[in-house]
Order: sequence, then C-alpha cells, then structure tokens
Amino acid sequence: MRIASFAAALWLGLMPNAAFAHLASTRFGEFYGGLLHPYSTLTHLLPWLALGLLGGLQSPATARWVLLAFPLAVAVGATLGSWLPPWPPVDTLNLLSFIVLGLGAALALRLGRPAFLGVAALFGISHGYANGIAELSGSERLLYIGGVACAAYVLIALVTAAAQTLAQQRQWGSIAVRAAGSWVVAVGLIFGGFTLLALGA
Amino acid sequence: MTGLCKQHALKRLCTLPRGAGLCLGLIALLGAGDVFAHAEVGVAGGLASGFLHPVYGLDHLVAMVAVGLWGAQLGNPAIWMLPITFPVVMAIGGLLGVAGVPVPLIEVGISASALALGAMVALNMRPPLALAAALVGVFAIFHGHAHGTELPSAVNPLAYGVGFVISTGLLHLAGIALGVMTRWPAGDKAVRILGGGIAALGAFFLAGSVGFI
Repeated sequence: MRIASFAAALWLGLMPNAAFAHLASTRFGEFYGGLLHPYSTLTHLLPWLALGLLGGLQSPATARWVLLAFPLAVAVGATLGSWLPPWPPVDTLNLLSFIVLGLGAALALRLGRPAFLGVAALFGISHGYANGIAELSGSERLLYIGGVACAAYVLIALVTAAAQTLAQQRQWGSIAVRAAGSWVVAVGLIFGGFTLLALGA
Repeated sequence: MTGLCKQHALKRLCTLPRGAGLCLGLIALLGAGDVFAHAEVGVAGGLASGFLHPVYGLDHLVAMVAVGLWGAQLGNPAIWMLPITFPVVMAIGGLLGVAGVPVPLIEVGISASALALGAMVALNMRPPLALAAALVGVFAIFHGHAHGTELPSAVNPLAYGVGFVISTGLLHLAGIALGVMTRWPAGDKAVRILGGGIAALGAFFLAGSVGFI
C-alpha cells in the first residue's frame, strides 16, 4: 500500500507544472519567480544559511524575532532594489555577509536581541536590494517581492529551527553548526577575495 | 460516496511516509524551474570539480583524514577546534592562490603534511593545543593554495569554492569518525596503524615531489 501511496504522491508531485501554468496565467507567476529567485544563486543562499545557523546558536527568545525581522527587511530591500538603480556597495555588503554571519556562527557568538536583529535587518535589506527587479511594475512587482520575502521566511525558519534543535538536543550539535559556519566563512573569504580582485583587475 | 472516497484518498495522502512528503516538496520546487530569471550557470559543474579536487589528490585526501584522526586522538577541545579552524585558515591559503601570490614548495608542503600528520597519529603525539593548531594551520595554507589556484578557471568559482570546502570538511569528518575507535584499545592501535600508513604515503609523495623517485 505504501508503494501505491508513494506512486500517487509522485504523480501528484509531477502535476504542479500544469498547475503553475494556470497560476501564471492568473498573474500569480511572478510570486513564484520571486520565491525561487534567491534560491537560484549561492550568493544569497549561503549567507542566509549562515544567518539561520547563527540564529540557532542564540536564545530562542532572541532567535524567534528573526523570523519576522529578516523577511520584512528582505521585502524592504527588494522594494528599494526594484525602484532604485543597481548600487555596487550592496554587492560588497553581500560578500561581507558571508564572513560576518559565518564567523558569528563559527565563534558561536551570543548576540543581544538588538544586535542580532540589527545584523539580520542590515543584510536582509542588502540581499533584498540585490533581488530587486526593475522590469516589473504594479501588482506583478508586489507579487514578486512577496515571493522573495516568503523565500527568506521559509529558509530562515527551517534553518534556524534545525540549528536550534541540533544545538540544544545533541552533544555534537553545536559543533556541527559551528563547523558549518566556518565553511561559509571559508567560502566567503575565497569567493569574496576572488570577486574583489577581479573587480580591481 | 464520492465525498467519502475523496476524504479517504486525502487521509491516505496525508499519512504518506515522511520521505514521500519530502520528495513531493522537492519535486514541486524543481518543477518550477522555468521561472528562474537570473540563475547562476555552471553550479553543478563547479560544485563537482571543487568537490573532487581534494578527493582526486591522494596526498590531500590522506592529510585531511589525518587531521580528523589526530583531532579525535587528542580529544577535547582539539576534536572540534581543528575542523572549525582548518577551513578558515585553508581559505587564507586559497586566497593567496586566487591572487596568484606564489607560495614556495607547494607540493613538498602538501606531501610533508601527510607525512607529519600521519606520524603524529602513529606516534600518538600530544603537543600543547596551540602547537598542534599551528602545525595544522601551516599545512592548511599549502592545501588551500593548491585548491585556490584552480578557482579562477572554474566555470562557477563560487560553486567550486563550496565544493572543495565541503569535501575537505567531510574528509575531516571521516577522520574523526574513524578516530572514535580510539575509545577501545584495539581501535586505538588500528588508528595508530592507519596514521603510520598515511605517514608512509606522505613519505612516498615527498620523495616524488623532491625528485628522489
């Protein structure tokens, strides 16, 4: 019976291609564009992952606020990025976010609520800005921005919850979270250096 | 009747195994591939080439496993400190490689790392933590430089970086997992023998890199 259930699930899972087409034709398509946009590039995915890891090492009372603050900041950033022209310092700030957030997780920094939310909001705005799309307007832009903010919420909620659970319930959990943070720092150092050197060349 | 059937089907769907739920989510996510606007190119290729770089070089591979083995042998806090600090120091070496800053005797350094770290495990050496960290850190620069030199030519440099950092981390984890055997007397001997094997391989590579063989 399990196989039958699985086959049914698989069949249903493959169906949404058709469903997406209908939603796109009802002008819901840009929401999905926004939802997948940040996931389509490691430049956003990795620092967001690091923010979730850092959140996992904070007290639950501090960490839970990031679920609200980060998607909101991303939405503000995406709105700004859709209206204003591309601004190169945003990209530098995003590169810096690899190192700041990864290092915070690697060192298991316990930040106060204002500091943690301040960092999350700053990088939320910068990453949101980089996700802005000037080509859209009106309700399409609104749907797109909503999608980007939802992507931020889903990723941060899942990673923060997983990191909190690991760090609190397993002896090796916080070490694993910190090691993953150090991996993000390492990637950020190399990629950031490469990008800045390429820009300078 | 139809309503009942629908309810029944829905209930069945809701009680799918967890794995199936995950598959569903994944398929739904991947099914929306046509909405990508600014997708990066060469992610899979970059990840694969970065991931395989430390694995294909046997000298890299055994040295990284030795780091994990030694960390496990030294116990707390080395067991967690080495895997957390190594990637960061390695990245500094990688940055030198990316910038084209020459580090002399790279191949000799990498081979020597396998020899020295393997010997530390084989002899069950327990220097002060700062000394152990410094030794591993110096070798991390050589390994990072070798990986970093290849980065600018990668199709997707970011994915390449992610690949080799994850690969290196997993090799450490493999060493730590094997190092857990040190809890038992027979396992402790096995780990030391493994260290001896790594040192022997390191000596072989070292002889090759200085032109003896």
